[in-house]
Amino acid sequence: MADILQILILGLALGGVYALMGAGLSLVFGVMRIVNLAHPSLIMMGAYVAFWGFRLYGIDPIVMLPVAMVILAATGVLLYKLVFEREAKSAKYSEMTVLLTFAFAMVFEGALATAFTNTQRVTTPDYAVDAIFIGNVFIPLGQLYAGIVSLVLIGALALYLKYSRFGYAIRATTQNREAAELLGVNVNFVGLVSFAIGLALAGAAGALVSFVFSFFPSKHWEWIAILMSLVVLGGMGSILGTVVAAYILSVVAAFVGFFFGATLSTLTFFVALFVVLLVRPQGLFGEKPELA
Amino acid sequence: MSLLTVKNVVAGYGDGPAILNGASVDVQPGKVHCIIGPNGAGKSTLLKAICGMLKIRSGEVTFKGESLKGLRPDQVLRKGICFVPQERALFPKMTVRENLRMGGFSMTDKRLLEKRIDEIEERFPILKERRDQHAGTMSGGQQQTLSMARTMILRPEIVMLDEPSLGLAPKIVQEIFDIIRVMAADGITILIVEQNALMGLRCADWGVVLDLGRTLFEGPAEEVLADPRIREAYLGAKKAA
Ligand SMILES: Nc1ncnc2c1ncn2[C@@H]1O[C@H](COP(=O)(O)OP(=O)(O)OP(=O)(O)O)[C@@H](O)[C@H]1O
Ligand SMILES: [Mg+2]
Repeated sequence: MADILQILILGLALGGVYALMGAGLSLVFGVMRIVNLAHPSLIMMGAYVAFWGFRLYGIDPIVMLPVAMVILAATGVLLYKLVFEREAKSAKYSEMTVLLTFAFAMVFEGALATAFTNTQRVTTPDYAVDAIFIGNVFIPLGQLYAGIVSLVLIGALALYLKYSRFGYAIRATTQNREAAELLGVNVNFVGLVSFAIGLALAGAAGALVSFVFSFFPSKHWEWIAILMSLVVLGGMGSILGTVVAAYILSVVAAFVGFFFGATLSTLTFFVALFVVLLVRPQGLFGEKPELA
Repeated sequence: MSLLTVKNVVAGYGDGPAILNGASVDVQPGKVHCIIGPNGAGKSTLLKAICGMLKIRSGEVTFKGESLKGLRPDQVLRKGICFVPQERALFPKMTVRENLRMGGFSMTDKRLLEKRIDEIEERFPILKERRDQHAGTMSGGQQQTLSMARTMILRPEIVMLDEPSLGLAPKIVQEIFDIIRVMAADGITILIVEQNALMGLRCADWGVVLDLGRTLFEGPAEEVLADPRIREAYLGAKKAA
């Protein structure tokens, strides 16, 4: 029984981190129809921002988190202005962005490898190697903190989208771009801000990931597969769906890992990806795909 | 005395060919205007050109003596012209109340907005009943009601509706036309595009026949209904007679 509870808690803590990793990807897809294959490499940049602050100045990665968010958001504004805004009129926008972001992922990986080498890294604040016991249940503090911070950020995003005026504009643009424009929403500006928020979330996720997983520049390829499975299971563009999918898959993966070993644990995500695409391609919360 | 004049407008999508090739409409204040014409005639395109979604290549669109050419959709909206596009004008995963709030997105006075929404809810009880339900889960008729009611939040001078009866059962179509009459009685000038030409013209004061991007005829709706050539070519007179 304690085992089950233990696995469940570990799964949920990591689920929060996965949810945060996927939330930005989902937001950007929803608003912009950009399938951002560079998203995990941007999370990686966030991780290196945290690593750099920790290694050079001994700053706690959670303290570096806002810094990573700001740096990544600024990167987002720049990328959007230089690349994605210009291409927005292209009829093949979504398809094009797949190639573009794939190229960016490789560029960012190369830049990170040049700056930080391909050595495995991890930030090691005190709590990352500490744990608490509640009864027989053992909880690593690093994962617990990362899970809580993720949940707080996702909650803040949800409240912002639900209640702020700009949140209305973002949701409206996601659901019906043309109607939003007709009602006076500046959809291009919404695109810019959403892109920046999406990348800020990637930065935040990176700072948390820096003490939860070890990382090296080319590891983002592994993450993209995991994130794709979350986004597809959740339903493309549905942030709520992505978050729910992250918790479900993370818990399932934790159980699979416990009973069948770590290798099969990661496989959970890929199997889920295939099964969802075969059985319910629109995911949990997505709309039926249109025959366009 | 026209409120809005569309004169010899030429427009198209992007760099593509001209879809409108001399479209003209004379919009009189407080009247209901119905644009008819076969599929692909450019009816939707005309409404899009008026509301600023398409660039007008030549010709004129004047609203109260002011040119609307080159304005963005939000600027045209602020002048008092609301456009409800064909189908899917709503935000399906926002609640009914949130959809109404989006109708007043361009308003800066939040309190006034909430007050107007309350008024709309009084006039359309179904919207009050369904206020917390996602718009996408309502029936087609209810969704169309919401789309139309939503325009009234801004107290517009002109409302343009693209095929408001599309895909609705006959009884519901009646209800939609009743709402159009209510809006007209409120003093809102209406411009509708209707596939159901007979019904549209019967509800309208003014009829416009558009084909191949060109206005072939415009005049009082009774005249359009009575014209034998128009009846035969565009109203399926053989069936209806
Ligand atoms: N987004 C678009 N891009 C390019 N061409 C378009 C676009 N929308 C419509 N067209 C073309 O413009 C022409 C007129 O279309 P429009 O939608 O205005 O016709 P309509 O009179 O509204 O017809 P319907 O009764 O079918 O709604 C058609 O030939 C169509 O192919
Ligand atoms: Mg049309």
